[in-house]
Amino acid sequence: MANIAAARIQREFKEVVKSEEVERCKIKVSLKNDMYNELEGTIAGPPDTPYAGGTFKLEIKIPETYPFNPPKVKFTTRIWHPNISSVTGAICLDILKDQWAAAMTLRTVLLSLQALLAAAEPDDPQDAVVAKQYKDCQEIFIKTARHWTNIYAGGPHRELDLENKITQVMGMGFDEGKARVALSSHNWDIERATENLLS
Amino acid sequence: MASYFDEHDCEPLQDGEQPNHLLHMARLLLDSGLGAEWDMEYGSVFGGERKVPPASKASVEALDTHLVTPTEAALEKKCPICLSLLDEEDEVKKMPCSHIFHSKCILPWLEKVNSCPVCRHELPTDDPEYEEFKKHKARAKQREFELDSLHNSMFG
Repeated sequence: MANIAAARIQREFKEVVKSEEVERCKIKVSLKNDMYNELEGTIAGPPDTPYAGGTFKLEIKIPETYPFNPPKVKFTTRIWHPNISSVTGAICLDILKDQWAAAMTLRTVLLSLQALLAAAEPDDPQDAVVAKQYKDCQEIFIKTARHWTNIYAGGPHRELDLENKITQVMGMGFDEGKARVALSSHNWDIERATENLLS
Repeated sequence: MASYFDEHDCEPLQDGEQPNHLLHMARLLLDSGLGAEWDMEYGSVFGGERKVPPASKASVEALDTHLVTPTEAALEKKCPICLSLLDEEDEVKKMPCSHIFHSKCILPWLEKVNSCPVCRHELPTDDPEYEEFKKHKARAKQREFELDSLHNSMFG
């Protein structure tokens, strides 16, 4: 079985490399080893979303039973999105689970992930905290996602008021990453975020 | 005109048979929109998605099977599963939706999942529960359509 998987990945690899999306939609795959079972994917944040301008990296593991089972994919770039864990990068997307079909490829998976960034599914969340913010306070969600894109994915838009709040919480002796998560999870309410950090 | 029983997709009661009130109640609740929540509950209680069943043995055996002819090979089509060319003399199977695969590629897939890897056209399964679930979904869709056309006829 293992060599079916490897042979197919080799063919797909060529397909992605020469596809026009590499230029146009900015997706990329690179090999992590010469066994064709671990790859690194890259997708650009779609325009007109809080992820625009960011570059997101993905860890792709190819099971021996590929393409009869889906590849295992997770974000290694941290991201604020209802269907992606802000902690582990785990993704909730049906085609990576029960809706996988053997004719799908790395290219279609990466394009689907790009589409997921443009259209979240808050009713089927991976990260409940992010999903609640997405539904209840859309404006704060957009600012938070843009801030995370700026910090972790090289996005161009700084959110100075959010950065100030992080600096304030860091002034109380907390680590930057933890301060960011606590503030993001509590709609940037400094009091509730610090309470959470202390508990 | 269709009979009452045809129209409501049910059978007349036999002599002495009582209506299955629980079943009707369940259908009523599911059709009134509780279904979505119930499906989510089901998912969270039983740990994840409804398992997709394999295609029925009979439907797999009935698939059109042939060896690739020189004319077909000249088209340089690829098998969507292994992504290699359909070469002359390769054994291929054609799904009812006309998608063609190497037999050795499509068989392991249909042992897992009952749908076409390209377009999700479904083959019948040997799983009575899944067939019931499919019927229920079709019924819900039909009812939605009927409601829509009723609304349109009144307000359209």
